[in-house]
Amino acid sequence: MDAVQIEEAEIETSSKIIRIALAGNPNSGKTTLFNALTGSHHRVGNYPGVTVEKREGYRNYKGYGFLITDLPGIYSLTAYSIDEMIARDFILEEKPDLILDVLDSTNLERNLYLCLQFQELGLPLVAAMNMTDEAKSKGIQIDTDLLSQSLGIPMVKTIGPKGVGISDLLDTVIAVVEKRNTLKKYPSYGGEIDPLIDSLAEILAGDPHFAPPPRWFAAKLLEKDPAAWERAAKHRDKTELLAKVQEKVAWIEKHFGKKAEIILSDQRYGYIHGAVKEAVRKEPLSKHTLSEKTDKILLNRVLGLPIFLFVLWGVFKLTFTLGEYPMLWLESLFAGLTGVLESLIPPGIIRSLVVDGIVGGVGGVFSFVPLIIILFFCISFLEDTGYISRAAFISDRFLHLFGLHGQSFMPMILGFGCSVPAIMAARTLKSKRDRLITIFIIPFMSCGAKLPVYVLLAAAFFPRNAGNMVMLMYIIGVALALLASLTISKTVLKGKSTPFVMELPPYRLPTLRGVLWHVWEKIWHYIKKAGTVILLSSLLIWFITTFPAPPPADSVQVAETGQISAPLTQQRQEEPDLLSYSFAGRIGRVLEPVVRPLGFDWKIGVATITGFAAKEVIVSTLGVLYKVGAEETEESESLREAIRQDSNFSPLTALSLMLFILIMPPCFAALATVKAETGWKWLGLMIGFSLALAWIASFIVYQTGSLILALL
Amino acid sequence: MTLKDLYVGDFFQVNQITLEGEIGKRLADMGFHEGVRGEITRCALLGDPIAVRILDYDVSIRKSEAAGIEVQRLGSRLPLGRRHRGGWRRRGKGRRGYGCCTD
Repeated sequence: MDAVQIEEAEIETSSKIIRIALAGNPNSGKTTLFNALTGSHHRVGNYPGVTVEKREGYRNYKGYGFLITDLPGIYSLTAYSIDEMIARDFILEEKPDLILDVLDSTNLERNLYLCLQFQELGLPLVAAMNMTDEAKSKGIQIDTDLLSQSLGIPMVKTIGPKGVGISDLLDTVIAVVEKRNTLKKYPSYGGEIDPLIDSLAEILAGDPHFAPPPRWFAAKLLEKDPAAWERAAKHRDKTELLAKVQEKVAWIEKHFGKKAEIILSDQRYGYIHGAVKEAVRKEPLSKHTLSEKTDKILLNRVLGLPIFLFVLWGVFKLTFTLGEYPMLWLESLFAGLTGVLESLIPPGIIRSLVVDGIVGGVGGVFSFVPLIIILFFCISFLEDTGYISRAAFISDRFLHLFGLHGQSFMPMILGFGCSVPAIMAARTLKSKRDRLITIFIIPFMSCGAKLPVYVLLAAAFFPRNAGNMVMLMYIIGVALALLASLTISKTVLKGKSTPFVMELPPYRLPTLRGVLWHVWEKIWHYIKKAGTVILLSSLLIWFITTFPAPPPADSVQVAETGQISAPLTQQRQEEPDLLSYSFAGRIGRVLEPVVRPLGFDWKIGVATITGFAAKEVIVSTLGVLYKVGAEETEESESLREAIRQDSNFSPLTALSLMLFILIMPPCFAALATVKAETGWKWLGLMIGFSLALAWIASFIVYQTGSLILALL
Repeated sequence: MTLKDLYVGDFFQVNQITLEGEIGKRLADMGFHEGVRGEITRCALLGDPIAVRILDYDVSIRKSEAAGIEVQRLGSRLPLGRRHRGGWRRRGKGRRGYGCCTD
């Protein structure tokens, strides 16, 4: 779904278009610079074939149209992580007119390491010396001109958040593209390795059909880059080439006594160090930076954990306390909308479709959007300050015990909001194994949609301990997530634990714009799914609960169900005729033997089935089934009353049902995301595993509970 | 001597990375190159992972990775009595129980 398309009309027709790839290390201020460059003119899409976000923006300047593609933040151009491969493929396949590399001037050497690899690619390159203000306050003085001369890379000083240096940057880009600024140079690996690279580059250049830049590719071959070796097989003189590479690798390893890939890194850093030594002056600051002081407290070995737990508690407290109000407003808004629509549309199938099917289904979803927004706001805020990396640092040891990774922490927390963006957030995990395990357990974190169901059941059957029951469900979910992770990492995904090499970026005060942008990115996935998958599934549910209509004699009140004000007892006598006639009722009856041992009757069975589409739909299905109106919410007295009076529905049934809903496969939207991120095999495994576990857990709880109750 | 054998507050200089494949390359890319100097800045509650400062930035690695980085110790920021490796360390020679070290 490569949906990024900047309308041509938005770019001035007369202008010459320059396609720019914006690259840089994570935390180099790349996103801020991207925003400063493009203003609000950007689109978000995906890179084709992979699920990594692709942002594109444009800018008109001095008669040129700049099309800027934001590449993922990376440290190097190896083929080891998805992000790096995307950046690499984008540059090699799409051949942008220019690479704009963002450098964090407070951490120049590591940032230049990536920059030099871009230089080797041979494409026009401009470096933005970003965050010069921060460098200055850290006592780092950079002679940008000198550095630019010695490395042969045009460099411009910028301060992303203030928009300083943007026009300088664009002027330099134009000059480089128009070849008015021709600094052409390749980085050196030292007197011993340079000739080796030259001779390999010569062979590589021998095949005119072989696309990758020879010098860069030669270095990658010496680094034993798996993707480069694979690609080398396509070269015309592949036998000669690979033999030469092997010979040279062997020579390097013998001569230096180390692995060739390490030597190349060492040499590259050596070259950078030489250049930086000339151009950068560091005044040793005696006082600790604010970031260090903050870490002294937040990462303190005694205080770190309590602070971490307190922050976590605070996030949840804020989410659920603050989220309650807008949730109620939205619910009343949708109730009002239902009222208006009912007065506009005459009773009948259309009204039922619009009111129960569309408004009821999608409205139910939107009512907990505020909750998700607040949670995501808190997490994005923490992410932008740099605390999430610290949280990963603190929790890694614990999560590692269960086969997880410190960086699984953030996706897991997002899972309490909505599984869809949480599953997508698992992309931050570099190794495939860690990603799969994390995605697998995210559905066990009770998402926002499960909350209304818990609240309804807990309030109806455990009125005195409702809050505790809901809490218990969340805790059971986390415990199951950890156990599931442990199981899967010891069985299906058995393997060596993956490395944990993670930058702890300096603390930064997040900008409101940045945080809101992150919230929007996450919430957007959710709204998109709600608009498509959830709309479709609520229509499907409406269909199976409405059709086929019962014979005319019984159908007098089908469309009027919401309005019936007759006593509940009377309604209950009518309803089996109506619903058992529908597809849903029939499915429910067929499945009753399967769910009976869990304490569910056919009605609960039907409600649970609709829960496959989306969990919050369970509430509205119960509303339909108990004839109290589909627009019922978990707060409504009538539905609570109705299920409490059902003799088939005991507190034990409620507990068993809550457990089943907690564990059962996530909603269609989440399943679609799992499929997109991992593939069919994992989707199948996830559905099978959670269905089996849900059934077994509910079975044990219900049967044991019944036994105990019988004995009492 | 590897990075794993050092204490919080110790300065070091990297000799070489002995880890193979992806992880070795990643550490090298992140700046653990021959001759680079750094400091162990802190360790997590149970002594793992540890945080290291190299090239003007902080990076956290697990002790299993630290064991694959050969270093030379260059002295310490902290006096001997306050050095620690993190984790629950046995105090003294006898079996007098375990205690957590402090920063």
